Amino acid sequence: MTRASVRGSGARAAAQVRPERPFARFRWTVTVVLLALLAWSTWSVDATWGRLLQAPGRAVGFVGTLVETASLEPLGVALEAMWESIAIAWIATLLGAALSFPLVFLAAANLTRSRVRQPVRQVLNVFRAIPEIVLAIALIPFLGLGPVTGAVAMGISSIGTLGKLSAEIVESIDDGPLQAVEASGGGRLERLRWAVLPQAMPEIAAFWLYRFEINIRVSAVLGVIGIGGIGGFIAQAVERNVFERIGLGLLVVILATMLVDAISSRLRRRLIEGPSPAAQARRERASTGGGPTGDDAA
Amino acid sequence: MIEFEGAEVRYPGGVRALQGVDLRIDDGELIVVVGLSGAGKSTLIRAINGLVPLTSGRVTVGERTLPGLDRRALRELRAQVGMIFQSFNLVSRSTVLNNVLMGRLHHVPLWRSLSGLYRAQDRELAMEALELVEIVEKAYVRAGNLSGGQQQRVGIARALAQQPSVLLADEPVASLDPPTSHVVMRYLQQINRELGITTLINLHFLDLARAYADRVIGLRDGRLVYDGPAAQADEAVFEEIYGRSLTADDVLEGQGGL
Amino acid sequence: MSGEASVDRERGRTEPAGRQVRPRKPPPQPFTILGLAGLVAFTLVTAWDWALGIGFDPLALPGELADSNPAMVEGLFNVTDADWRAQYVELLRTHFTDPDSPWPLSLDSRIGGGLVETVQIAVLATIVGAALSLPLAVLNARLGAPDRVTHAVVKALNNVNRAIPDVIWAALFVVLVGVGALPGILALTMFTIGVVVKLTSDVVDGIDRGPIEAARAAGASHAAAMRTALVPQILPAYASFSLYAFELNLRGAAVLGFVGAGGIGQAMSYYWSQLDFEAVSVIVFVYLVLVIVVEQVSISIRRRLG
Repeated sequence: MTRASVRGSGARAAAQVRPERPFARFRWTVTVVLLALLAWSTWSVDATWGRLLQAPGRAVGFVGTLVETASLEPLGVALEAMWESIAIAWIATLLGAALSFPLVFLAAANLTRSRVRQPVRQVLNVFRAIPEIVLAIALIPFLGLGPVTGAVAMGISSIGTLGKLSAEIVESIDDGPLQAVEASGGGRLERLRWAVLPQAMPEIAAFWLYRFEINIRVSAVLGVIGIGGIGGFIAQAVERNVFERIGLGLLVVILATMLVDAISSRLRRRLIEGPSPAAQARRERASTGGGPTGDDAA
Repeated sequence: MIEFEGAEVRYPGGVRALQGVDLRIDDGELIVVVGLSGAGKSTLIRAINGLVPLTSGRVTVGERTLPGLDRRALRELRAQVGMIFQSFNLVSRSTVLNNVLMGRLHHVPLWRSLSGLYRAQDRELAMEALELVEIVEKAYVRAGNLSGGQQQRVGIARALAQQPSVLLADEPVASLDPPTSHVVMRYLQQINRELGITTLINLHFLDLARAYADRVIGLRDGRLVYDGPAAQADEAVFEEIYGRSLTADDVLEGQGGL
Repeated sequence: MSGEASVDRERGRTEPAGRQVRPRKPPPQPFTILGLAGLVAFTLVTAWDWALGIGFDPLALPGELADSNPAMVEGLFNVTDADWRAQYVELLRTHFTDPDSPWPLSLDSRIGGGLVETVQIAVLATIVGAALSLPLAVLNARLGAPDRVTHAVVKALNNVNRAIPDVIWAALFVVLVGVGALPGILALTMFTIGVVVKLTSDVVDGIDRGPIEAARAAGASHAAAMRTALVPQILPAYASFSLYAFELNLRGAAVLGFVGAGGIGQAMSYYWSQLDFEAVSVIVFVYLVLVIVVEQVSISIRRRLG
């Protein structure tokens, strides 16, 4: 079907010079670096790649055993462990929110001059960089090994991201209200209360909720070093081959996490977008007195 | 040959974008479709390559008739119909050449388009298409770095790389300034004359329509209200098509700035 | 209130005030009331020291922090003591040099090897996971999926994947392929897919749809249209998210060792069980340096990707 050419191009083509195909240096660099990393890791890592072939067969057997041994008997314990993970994540989120909140305004370019802002940003970066497990280990000598340790470690670790991203939200607010409050004689705190918070708070709160979703996963992970919760529950069940606990634990962690995600993302949308138009209309009718106790002139 | 028979398009909201359109277009014609925005120009053009499905009636393009084509036949039909868009629809991060090669997608095996390893003959066709609109020197430039007029020429080259027998242009100059508009229109006219590709162009500037068309088709509220040679489409005809008296906005030369 | 009065005076009652009705202050929205009440209740339940709470008392916390376990503090970070610091440096030397080797740095020790393995696990998981993520991210977006069923299936599977914490994946893969780096690589591959697919497919909804229409109009198949018209648009974001996933993987890789899935966590849990807190401290310190260095490099690359 393919004809040899787009017809009739002769006359104009003669006057034009086709460019040389340029050498895609960036693309080649990336490709070579990635391949080198891949090759080095694949050859030198202590992994028995051959076992990958057995994995599908074993997975079928494993799932079969999970189904065979399925039992609701450990449901209570599993739910309790899941609840503990959620509780740890929640306290950690609140802690992170409370500790990061004052720093947010010190880290925002439109509120704080750079002499103060830069050091605060650096502090936030340090908190962001430290993995939760490192913080948890550092806290063990003081708090022992338990849910509170996990919550405090995750809370401190949340300061970095919460502070940085909330500061970016504050930086993106409309400048007009800030100037308006300043023009009517408002000081620093008035500006915060009447110009910054009304604009930034919904998004910041939405971001706290998002961090809560992440923290649930983190608390499950920290469970394996012994802070409690569903992570430790499943890891121990796997170690001891208690199949009915593995299956049920997985089911619980998947369903609970998805449920919390769904609720949280709905709340976040509501926070950012405000009430639905229908709800808004209902409220307006109520407040302008359309109801039986209406006091309007008509 | 393209033939509309009782073509109707009703959008889900209930808007009737095309109503009972009967139209016959011969090979090699250059037709300009005019009408106010919302008159159904875009729908008419998109009905030809099936981007907008008819709700009743038929459109025949060559030996294929819509509706009733399976996915494969529809793609074959689209491959023989090139399309040019108001907002150019280029991938601004890709090179000009890669954009033009999109015109070859129907003829290229999937593994080649997925990997980007096009055949030499496809690259040759793309280069020739770029030469036709005299922009081959930009072949390895990112499309987003070109001016609007240059981007539209790349858009034309992409359509030409399909080796189409029909060319559809949906408001090709609406995003361009007057001098650039004439450049683009002249390329479309040359392509129609030299390659004999049947060309349909949506426009809302009546002076451009008269200057470049062989035949003018007028749409109002989804109905065909005028069909005749461009020479006879005077202002009275346009007032009839638009359903109102003409203003400076209706002619390209009346546009501000120049 | 006084402000309103003065405004009225200025207007001088030229307008028929009777026409206008001042609305009552609307009651707080139900969402606000219920939301706040719910949050407070939830916080009290989870913080209280009882069956449903973790016993978190912010007032007692400073006291607990002051009352530490001296042996552990001694081992982990007694940085004010000069002897401790000297001993720490000595410890770093024994773990990271080899008298028989000509190089100034040796990574053959349990700790050095664990660090290298952590990096390898993160590298492999990121490259493999990111490579699988690109097509999945396209399918995970409504615009990118060829049909509703594919979209729904891919989305549901990825939601399940994201709900399983990486360390649980690791424990499961230990069952399937045995202990070592392999289950760690597989676990973080799943984690990478979860992160990159989610973030990248969110970008898909915001792209320019024009080029896709152009590809369709040229008779392209769905797959070819996505590859040529959509993928170039999401590529920078995808690359940036993949690097971000690498940072997360490097942090995540530390925990894997606790369930037998390789990496530095294996050394960590070994020395922890030996109550050798100095060694744990060395591991934490070196690992932290590694994470920070890699993160700085990654952030500077991501900034360039824009």
